[in-house]
Amino acid sequence: MPDPVVVLVEDEPQIRRFLRATLTGQGYRLFEATTGAAGIIEVGSRQPDIVIIDLGLPDTDGIDVIRRLREWTAVPIIVLSARGQERDKVTALDAGADDYVSKPFGAGELLARIRVALRHTAGASHEADEAAFKVGELHVDLLRRQVAVGGAEVRLTPTEYKLLTTLIRHAGKVVTHQQLLREVWGPTHTDQAHYVRIYMAHLRHKLEAEPARPRYLLTEPGVGYRLAVD
Amino acid sequence: MSKDLSTWLQSGYLTAVAAVTAATGISWMMFPFFEPANLIMTYLLAIVVIAARYGRGPSVLAAVASVAAFDFFFVPPHLTFAVADTQYVLTFAVMLFVGLVISGLTARIRLQADTARQREQRTAALYAMSGQLAETGAVEDLVAIAARHIAEVFDAEVGAALADAGGQLRIVRNDGGLPAEQDDVALSLWVLEHRRPAGLGTETSASARAVYVPLVGHRGPLGVVSVRPRQRDAFAIPGSLRQLETFINQTALAVERARSADEAQEARVRAETERLRNALLTSVSHDLRTPLATITGAATTILESGAHLDHRTQQELLESVREEADRLNRLVQNLLEMTRLESGALQLRRDWHPLEEVVGAALGRLAKSLGTRRVTVNIPPDLPLVAIDDVLIEQVFVNLLENAIKYTPPDSAIRILVSATDQSVTVEVADHGPGLPKGHEARVFEKFYRAASDGRRGAGLGLAICRGVVAAHGGRIWAHNLPEGGVAFLFTLPLTDTQPAPLPHDA
Repeated sequence: MPDPVVVLVEDEPQIRRFLRATLTGQGYRLFEATTGAAGIIEVGSRQPDIVIIDLGLPDTDGIDVIRRLREWTAVPIIVLSARGQERDKVTALDAGADDYVSKPFGAGELLARIRVALRHTAGASHEADEAAFKVGELHVDLLRRQVAVGGAEVRLTPTEYKLLTTLIRHAGKVVTHQQLLREVWGPTHTDQAHYVRIYMAHLRHKLEAEPARPRYLLTEPGVGYRLAVD
Repeated sequence: MSKDLSTWLQSGYLTAVAAVTAATGISWMMFPFFEPANLIMTYLLAIVVIAARYGRGPSVLAAVASVAAFDFFFVPPHLTFAVADTQYVLTFAVMLFVGLVISGLTARIRLQADTARQREQRTAALYAMSGQLAETGAVEDLVAIAARHIAEVFDAEVGAALADAGGQLRIVRNDGGLPAEQDDVALSLWVLEHRRPAGLGTETSASARAVYVPLVGHRGPLGVVSVRPRQRDAFAIPGSLRQLETFINQTALAVERARSADEAQEARVRAETERLRNALLTSVSHDLRTPLATITGAATTILESGAHLDHRTQQELLESVREEADRLNRLVQNLLEMTRLESGALQLRRDWHPLEEVVGAALGRLAKSLGTRRVTVNIPPDLPLVAIDDVLIEQVFVNLLENAIKYTPPDSAIRILVSATDQSVTVEVADHGPGLPKGHEARVFEKFYRAASDGRRGAGLGLAICRGVVAAHGGRIWAHNLPEGGVAFLFTLPLTDTQPAPLPHDA
């Protein structure tokens, strides 16, 4: 597999410099753009494996760039945003972004997000989904529809199981309440975000050792949930 | 005509005639038994009574009528005004003279008594006014009280204008007393400038319909009061104008006191604002510069002598760069949060949340700084959903937990305890640290509060943000030291009767 190609759309030179060092050091081929318009052209010409985009660009709103990219490409998009801008993150995710990191972020955090995003692209290109999901003590056999924690089987209701498998499909990535509502309950219940929260609580009580300090089913306040992958 | 008559009747002239008639009747009965000189005494008595009751005019009439009646009835030849014995001419002269002196003296005593009574009434009124002024704080109220008293005591219409800082007069009361006519304004300004009364009853512009008296305090003129009496000659009575000035001086003192109090209050607010701003600047500049100094120092050390440093030292320097950057980030976040809370720009995005999830998110965010610390979480399994802004309430938990981490030993436990009634949910975050300084349980929620000389770092914003967020949710937050040591921070979140739509069937 050749070195993955990354397009970075970011206007701050210092952040570009630090990401250049991080990403090229990790073996990524990096192409940079400082405006949204240049970013769209760069994505079209470089055919990247992943796009990293800052939401605060000088020429256009990063969310508009995401929408325009999503008109013709399914390339994974990771958003750079500041804490306290949860609405923007949700808007970006609902517009088609795959994940986000909050500024300031560490190199490790961004690299982990990139790895997860690339793994999902690789997984989607395979013919069949993986048959099992494992993290820590949690083991889900997707063929037999069996869930076990530390070897002991756990019985889930149909909705709980559907919620868990939806999270597994997006494992490691953030999933918004809207996405979960659409995928688990269908398009008519998208204004009932508390459904998701109540079932997440049920799942935590069945799967987590300490439901108030979850190890697997992580909450991103104001945005959604993330199923831990390591 | 009839009005003149009744005035005339009331004024005592008729009574004077009646008194003389009565004296004549009594003298007629005495006449056979007494010397004529004794009869004169009866007449003098009548004159004294009339003088004491009705004053100068009627008593003069009584004196003249007495002489005439005595002459007519008792001096031979009787029932004529002719006088047989010339010595009676002297009698008449003395009688008239004595009558007039008595009437004059008595009338003056009466006037003095009247004046004294009026003065006493006005003193009582002044006393009452002073009492009310002392209980009042606002300048406008003071003027209203004074105007009411002056209007009552002097039977007048009262207006008032106060001078502002630029010497401009601003009319604060205009009950017909101070019509905004050009003359009045000009006269008022004259009074303000010369600090002397003018207008009716004074030497300046005596033709005006009102008298204008300056309100003068210790530090200069404060304004002008205009008094227009219903009876034009009210201030012709000696001392009347001086009494009015006494009233107005009292008012001036009260107004000046109120203004001083206002100014002192403003000065206090300014000083407090200034103190807060200084605290903010000190705190922010210190808290921003310290991490920046560390970052700059560490980075330049690595840049300039990186080759000579061993790997471990380099790692330590880089670690401190990261930690200090984290601290800067938290500080900026707190400042932003505080600014949003205070500017009113904060909008709650409430939705239904299980509190456990919010606690979990906060503990997750602090996983690194909590380390191996024991955290016990006790949430009733049947706790209803709460309508909160999860991002903000998570911040409350994060701030309370960071506070506990900062002020307690690294291995001591932290307890999160949630309980609920029908009306509200109460959350307790308790630690086993040294507790709060005595008496500081409420002050810790103030902005920029830091326990004196605690040597620990932080802008003192975390708990102030907690208070702001909890208050925005309609709850309250407080802290108390625990008997077994440590401190408990508690906050409430109100529960509403409504709960969200029930879940669809799931089996």
